[in-house]
Amino acid sequence: MAQRQRPRCSLLDSLGEEIVRIVTPVSICMLLVVILVSVLNSSSSSSTSVTTIATIAYSETDSDSSWDKFVGALLNSLVFVAVVTVVTFVLVLLFYLRCTKFLKFYMGFSAFIVLGFMGGQVSLFLIQDYSIPIDCITFFLALFNFAVVGVLAVFMSKMAIFVTQGYLVVIGMLVAYWFTMLPEWTTWVMLVAMALYDLAAVLLPVGPLRLLVELAISRDEDIPALVYEARPVTDHDSGVSSGNQRRVWRERSGSAALNEPENSTDEPNPNPGRVSVSNVETELSAPLIEHRMNMDSQETRGEDDAPGENLALEGIGLGSTGAIKLGLGDFIFYSVLVGRAAMYDFMTVYACYLAIIAGLGVTLVLLAFYRRALPALPVSILLGVLFYVLTRFVLEIFIVQLSSNLLMF
Amino acid sequence: MTVVAGIGYVLIALGPSLSLFVSVISKKPFLILTVLSSTLLWLISLIVMSGLWRAFLPLSSSSWWPYSLLIITSVGFQEGLRLFFWRIYRKLEDILDAFADRMSKPRLFLTDKMQIALAGGLGHGVAHAVFFCLSLLTPAFGPATFYIERCSKMPFFLVSALIALSFVTIHTFSMVIAFNGYSEGNKVDQVFVPVVHLVAGLVTLVNFAHEGCLVGIPLLYLMALLILLHCSKMAWRRLTENRGRLESSQ
Repeated sequence: MAQRQRPRCSLLDSLGEEIVRIVTPVSICMLLVVILVSVLNSSSSSSTSVTTIATIAYSETDSDSSWDKFVGALLNSLVFVAVVTVVTFVLVLLFYLRCTKFLKFYMGFSAFIVLGFMGGQVSLFLIQDYSIPIDCITFFLALFNFAVVGVLAVFMSKMAIFVTQGYLVVIGMLVAYWFTMLPEWTTWVMLVAMALYDLAAVLLPVGPLRLLVELAISRDEDIPALVYEARPVTDHDSGVSSGNQRRVWRERSGSAALNEPENSTDEPNPNPGRVSVSNVETELSAPLIEHRMNMDSQETRGEDDAPGENLALEGIGLGSTGAIKLGLGDFIFYSVLVGRAAMYDFMTVYACYLAIIAGLGVTLVLLAFYRRALPALPVSILLGVLFYVLTRFVLEIFIVQLSSNLLMF
Repeated sequence: MTVVAGIGYVLIALGPSLSLFVSVISKKPFLILTVLSSTLLWLISLIVMSGLWRAFLPLSSSSWWPYSLLIITSVGFQEGLRLFFWRIYRKLEDILDAFADRMSKPRLFLTDKMQIALAGGLGHGVAHAVFFCLSLLTPAFGPATFYIERCSKMPFFLVSALIALSFVTIHTFSMVIAFNGYSEGNKVDQVFVPVVHLVAGLVTLVNFAHEGCLVGIPLLYLMALLILLHCSKMAWRRLTENRGRLESSQ
């Protein structure tokens, strides 16, 4: 009888790994926002209308007609997009004038504000609703430490990557939760407006984000920004071929059926930081420099006290280790869409979640195809809005009719 | 009936799929993507069907024949979509094999192909459970429960969770049978799956009768059992054939 060999490693073991590594934190962020929205909004009754930059032109009230609401929401979004554009241009200017220190300091400051004040506010809501017994001093101490560690995690690259990724997800979740407190029509129109703005800002030659990316590439610098990088969180334990597996984009010689990232198998390579040469094809995998395409955009969030600005990142690109980078602004707007869908019903949440993940997959495929920085918002947001509308007006009554009569297929 | 009961209903409908997911699918990222895409496909089919039927809804809940028409058209559309899914899968298989050749890794094994079919079926099953059962479960997390007249012995949520569980099983394993049937050209399997799906859908019409669910639910579980037996028989046969073939070629 033949000996049972060790399990054969198959193609499916690691295919599609990066996509899952970027889909997982996006899903976690969306899940957290949905939980927050359903837990906090069900109990609190009054719509605490937040006066922010996004509602400066028009405050929605329930008594207006649909057309008024739509026009008001349009005005709001135009103001918001205009502010975001101006601030992004200011950012490009500052980057051009090499005020990197100021930018970094500013980002640290805004991360502290988000974690400290917004996080504190959300915690206060939770403490109120669940009557958690905690005293002021402990709360303040815990919050302060949480915020400071968050700032350090986001800016010190030596921190354990799991902590950094966790904090980025938390920042995204907090900002997204605040955005869901905007009135309904404003939220939806603003999402569409931001998606269109993202498309324009990244792809048009005069767009601020494209200018920023080109500046960064020409100077060979990193843009100081809040970016989620999907590097491996834990070590692979998948046998011999682990170790220095890095996936980078490679130039292909001759006709290629697919443009896809490939595994560069490991030769005995003492440098863990370098990219290894493949055995299969004698092409040098592009070293660290080539494909860092990060993108930047401003993201204004309003508060009652200070209209602070947050340097978040929108857009999707490739990190220096070949890992996919997704800007925090994308996390935030995806979660805002899903959170707003959660305020209606859970069926819309599932539909919008699937739409957003599908849009993200399409964007990643386009990224593999075009190999340049791409806006991650448009496809997902437009699909998400489409599915929300379809589910709310068409699907829901169909399903409720059937399942309330216990008919299923 | 509080969060505990709500979670309980969710786990009744989705428990086996969750354990399948954790044990088989979460280990291979490609299968996770397959689950997500087949869930999306099922959702799109639902949206299309509801779009088509929107003008006729809401139907009166006394007569049952418009509902049977609804179910027949929806099941027909979904089976057509399964064929479409198979076509996409064939193209994907070719791409993956070409990719594997280029990477000098082994091509897709039979177990890989069956795992992809399982993931596809699981996506369909999870989509069914989520949209037909979970989306109505929101009140179950609150302080009370709900009974409907036609099935007054059990809470509505429990009934719908049980039905969802049987359908999850049916969807998950009928995809494996169907893919196997298409790849082997086995006509019996190819016809078996749509027929069982249609019969299961029509069996739920029994729930229209007063206390019909007492008959309907066991019948549904009978169909699910049928699918399970057929699938295990087929899988066993294919795997032993495959192993025999591998060992004889060594």
